[in-house]
Amino acid sequence: MDSHDRDHRLLAAFLAGDLDPATARRWDEHLLECEACWRAVREDRAGHQAAQVLRQPAPPGLADRVGFAVEMAAARTAAPRQARPGIRTRRRARHDRRLRWRLAGAGAVAAGLVITLMVLLLPGGRQASGVPAAVAAVARYAQAIPPPAGDQHSYSGGWATPVEVGRPVTVTAGGQRIVLRTWRLGGTEAVVAVSAHPFPMPARARGVSGRGMAWSARWGRLGLYCLNGPTSELVAAPVPAAELAALAARLPPA
Amino acid sequence: MGADHRAFLEAVLPHLDAVWQVARHAAADGQDPEDLVQETYLRAYAAFGSYRGGNTRAWLAAICLNAARSQARRRRRRPWEVPGPALLDVLPRSRADGGEGVADVADVVIAGLDAETVSRCLGLLPEPQRACIVLVDVAGYTAKEAAEALGCPRGTVLARVHRGRRKLARLLAEAGVAHGQP
Repeated sequence: MDSHDRDHRLLAAFLAGDLDPATARRWDEHLLECEACWRAVREDRAGHQAAQVLRQPAPPGLADRVGFAVEMAAARTAAPRQARPGIRTRRRARHDRRLRWRLAGAGAVAAGLVITLMVLLLPGGRQASGVPAAVAAVARYAQAIPPPAGDQHSYSGGWATPVEVGRPVTVTAGGQRIVLRTWRLGGTEAVVAVSAHPFPMPARARGVSGRGMAWSARWGRLGLYCLNGPTSELVAAPVPAAELAALAARLPPA
Repeated sequence: MGADHRAFLEAVLPHLDAVWQVARHAAADGQDPEDLVQETYLRAYAAFGSYRGGNTRAWLAAICLNAARSQARRRRRRPWEVPGPALLDVLPRSRADGGEGVADVADVVIAGLDAETVSRCLGLLPEPQRACIVLVDVAGYTAKEAAEALGCPRGTVLARVHRGRRKLARLLAEAGVAHGQP
């Protein structure tokens, strides 16, 4: 360390209040006489003041987004999985309902990112259950969206204007690049996945008559409806299969 | 993983604002700072079971910086790299060195410069100085916390902050002079 470095460190220590009283007093006296050191002090203060201009509060939804992502990670790794609704405490149930509402907006984005990680770790091709990876990724994403309060998923009478929830999320699964958007129609939330490549038809899917390349399938509580045109569009929503086509028709074109 | 996520969130969410400040300036080009914050917390959660306590804020900053570096590597970019020749290098030496006849840079009205200019000039600082300024001056970490996050002595942090502030002030002064010219 040369004397220049030593002076820098000493001045920095002086400005931080680290020096003992006697040494600090000598620096005080020195600064009265040394124009170069005094300039260094003024520059230090100016730089400090300028840097503080960059401080910005965290975005309002960031805490919810982070909380949701951690909840998702916790749920994914919980073992054994439990929490049947019937044995939940009332407090826990209330907490969950509040959480669902609070996170509904940020949830789509956060869930998408978490699912993205999951999907990227999956090998391409078909899953053990025989469901193609791209279809499974969309279904998992749709399952991860917190349902609206009340858990009512009937689409009947849901002719309200679709409202997009969160932002589009892009994932890659089974070698397909997929853009996922979430829409709310009345009491139902639907995920619309669009890919330049056709979503492979699962083994247990049924072809939809009169719709060319269309097929439908069930994934747990979800109905899946795929329509292949210039792009392939896969709709996933917790509604009966018979309602899927009508619901898909209500959603904005991809 | 497997730590109680509620205990984890209680411990770490109070530091969200500080992590956000770090993420905004550590994120590589094209990287969303909000994504980086989320990645930071997911990494922290994964490691929470083995976390032995200490300064949580510094721990989170270290994770955030590491996450930014690894994501930047994936993008084949480095987040704290000086982009091209530093502005100071192309300034007339008499100005950069504070030579005679040059106005004291601290007299330049820095408050009149917008945050974008400050951010651009901050980006011209060498990585170690920039990291220290972001932690101490922007995010409000103490020198001790910044030293813990960066894995270097506290005195080194103080010296880097001092050098970085001076260089930032001179860059801003030059930017102010340039803007003021017809």
